[in-house]
Amino acid sequence: MTTEDMATETEAQDEADEDSLISTDPGKGGLDENADRGGVTSGKTIIHSRDLDVFYGETQALQHIDLEIPENQVTAMIGPSGCGKSTFLRCINRMNDLIDIARVEGELSFKGKNVYDDDVDPVALRRRIGMVFQHPNPFPKSIYDNVAYGLRTQDKTDDMDAVIEESLKKAALWDEVKDRLDESALDLSGGQQQRLCIARAIAVDPEVVLMDEPASALDPIATSQIEDLIEELSEEYTVVIVTHNMQQAARISDKTAVFLTGGELVEFDDTDKIFENPDSQRVEDYITGKFG
Amino acid sequence: MATQTPTQETTEFGEVSRLKGIAFKYTSFAASIVGILALGVLLAYVFWDAFGLESAGTTWYLSYTVTLLVPLLAFFAYARTRPDVVAGAFELFSLTLGGVMLTVATVIVLSVIASPPVWFAYFLTVVGPAIGMYVYGQYNREATWVGLGILAAVVVGPVVGTLGLGTFSSLGAMLGAPGIYFLSLVLPGAGMAAFLAHDRLELSKRQSIGIGVGLPVLAIVGVPVVDMVPQIARSVWLIGLVMFGLPVGFTVVNTAQRRERWAAFAFPAIAILGFLLGEFVVGVVGATEPSPWLDWQYVTSGPSISNAAEAGLYPAIIGSVFLIVLVSVFTFVFGVGTAIYLEEYAPATGPLGTITRLVNVNISNLAGVPSVVYGLLGLGIFVNINAQLGPITYAGFGVGTVFTASLTLSLLILPIVVISAQEAIRSVPDSLRQASYGMGATRWQTIRNVVLPRSLPGILTGTILALGRAIGETAPLIMIGAATTKFSPPSGLFSKLTAMPMQIYAWAFQPSPDFRYGVVAAGVVTLLIVLLTMNSVAILVRNKYQQEAH
Ligand SMILES: Nc1ncnc2c1ncn2[C@@H]1O[C@H](COP(=O)(O)OP(=O)(O)OP(=O)(O)O)[C@@H](O)[C@H]1O
Ligand SMILES: [Mg+2]
Repeated sequence: MTTEDMATETEAQDEADEDSLISTDPGKGGLDENADRGGVTSGKTIIHSRDLDVFYGETQALQHIDLEIPENQVTAMIGPSGCGKSTFLRCINRMNDLIDIARVEGELSFKGKNVYDDDVDPVALRRRIGMVFQHPNPFPKSIYDNVAYGLRTQDKTDDMDAVIEESLKKAALWDEVKDRLDESALDLSGGQQQRLCIARAIAVDPEVVLMDEPASALDPIATSQIEDLIEELSEEYTVVIVTHNMQQAARISDKTAVFLTGGELVEFDDTDKIFENPDSQRVEDYITGKFG
Repeated sequence: MATQTPTQETTEFGEVSRLKGIAFKYTSFAASIVGILALGVLLAYVFWDAFGLESAGTTWYLSYTVTLLVPLLAFFAYARTRPDVVAGAFELFSLTLGGVMLTVATVIVLSVIASPPVWFAYFLTVVGPAIGMYVYGQYNREATWVGLGILAAVVVGPVVGTLGLGTFSSLGAMLGAPGIYFLSLVLPGAGMAAFLAHDRLELSKRQSIGIGVGLPVLAIVGVPVVDMVPQIARSVWLIGLVMFGLPVGFTVVNTAQRRERWAAFAFPAIAILGFLLGEFVVGVVGATEPSPWLDWQYVTSGPSISNAAEAGLYPAIIGSVFLIVLVSVFTFVFGVGTAIYLEEYAPATGPLGTITRLVNVNISNLAGVPSVVYGLLGLGIFVNINAQLGPITYAGFGVGTVFTASLTLSLLILPIVVISAQEAIRSVPDSLRQASYGMGATRWQTIRNVVLPRSLPGILTGTILALGRAIGETAPLIMIGAATTKFSPPSGLFSKLTAMPMQIYAWAFQPSPDFRYGVVAAGVVTLLIVLLTMNSVAILVRNKYQQEAH
């Protein structure tokens, strides 16, 4: 089963490879494994969770999560539905604060600072950690105003037109919308909307981009566009991505965290290690589809 | 395929009973018909009396049937299957009515309630600076001080205006009322017209500038013409040009730009031409005309209690306009503020969450409390209380005064405004809030840029409908001791008032049938026209914003 997965990935990967500058290519892990390893482990830790517990009311959604997310790399989170991937993502930029019944215990540090310390302003934190949601959620405003939203709220209005153009280019959307920046963002297709949300998130130049299943509502073409984009993003940004698509995780990520039902982190390692030779039998069962 | 396999047996599907559903459908139909019929009969009956239609001769009916009714019915039949035409006709109709009402309300507010020099003082200190800063903020979006500046103008401006009232108003007196209206209404109106023309109607830059310059020129050129008509004062001309001219001009151009709506112009054309033609025909054949109770004299003179023919609704109309203006300000500020707090700020869990829930439940209950109880409350806290707080004596706001009445009515509809605003705020998808917070927006930025723009149409509709309820209320006004009959309109916040429903109620007890049928019916029709106009504007606002949100 695993070998089959790898075969399809290699095919899909070839195209993307041509214009990608990224040396790490977990899809080809079987061929030059050692080179990959070297690239992956060199990353500096930017987000570090220690013994993190999250509760929704009485029920515990995450249990004792210990995780180190490396800087300027792509970290994927996989696991069955309801295992707490989104919850973990929301812990990083404190979006859980908006859920009344959510309670976080333990430590989660960003660049060495525990974001749950009393003196951390969650709004300031979110200005450094951008987020792209599972479903595209553009504002009912023009395309231009959508990308400008973060810039305006954060008072980064210098040279705004140039920044907006650059973000749209990075999100591979510029060519499609450059003639209709004044039109409503809601008139875009689902895939375009999602790329717009990505442009919106990177326009304010965050240090980390969190993505919660960004391609779940997209067709294969839009998905592969977004995957290309993520690979490019990881040159400048740290990307943490939740996905249900195992092959996608294998294709684009450097590190993979496997959560299993009950909210425990079962294994966290280099992506090729997880997909080829996981330590845990449960992880292997999950990846090969024996267990959901 | 079935034809190729004749050996196969045909299946019997049988039939499923729909008896209950059919019975339900017709019962519902009957129920709705009863309601609509009852309303229709009532309206026909009141209109019949108000316009004195029974005294009209058969030829009069015939003439108008031919010149007005048949063409209108033909238009409706034509428009029935064309939603664009219906929408266009509705827009033309309600914005024309709305423009008339806005003009009347503005004339009353600016020249009866506040004298022109007083208005000028507050225009200089509050309205002018606020508008100026808002416009500047629209052009220069980087200017972050604009919001604070407007807030300062609204808070500090009234103080400055009140302190310098003498100076500012003598300045205004030098200009004279027409000069004041030219500066404070026509010029900003011209700017707004140019903006709307360019931004909303997408006219060219030159056309828009032409409109912006043309409006003041038209205002000045029109003065000598208006002077020849004794019924129209210069002030009314200037106010009408802005308050009636802008909305009507806007819809006319808007309709003209959309080819599929052109047929909508037939509606006003048929109505006006049909009416004029009817007048002409009636004059030629010499038909007996109806003797309407509701006429110009009725809306411009005070109430007589002895002579039905001289009775008028003027003081009550002014009183009601006073109430609408004040109640809408109070309820909008407090109602929307409360709704935003409860939906966006108040904690939903923990001990404080319990309080929030309690408040919410109580607001829903308050919405159902009978109006007479609110009257009693108003009597208690705005009229009868005598409190001594240190040097400050609070002795209420007076029996039956404008201020007492508007506070009482505001209390009455506040729960409805809060609930509808909450509903509108709640309908803003959470994913949009998440998107905003995720971009590092503060709560205030999220409310200001995402929640309020999305919920504004709902909030406005709810508020306007609630206002409609407030101006129809009688019981609370009786409780706070408002006069049923007053011969002069209220002149300030603390002068006594009467309102349309009060006056109608008083007339209903007059022994003479002329009062009980004619004068009362005319009052009811006036009240209904005001209410229906407000409601149609509410519908328009909602449709407009709903289209824009997509
Ligand atoms: N707002 C909430 N209130 C209460 N419980 C919640 C809330 N959000 C999530 N949960 C619970 O927390 C657990 C983890 O949810 P989470 O959304 O993190 O799962 P997930 O791994 O992202 O699943 P999926 O792949 O389906 O998106 C689930 O059992 C869910 O029921
Ligand atoms: Mg999820």
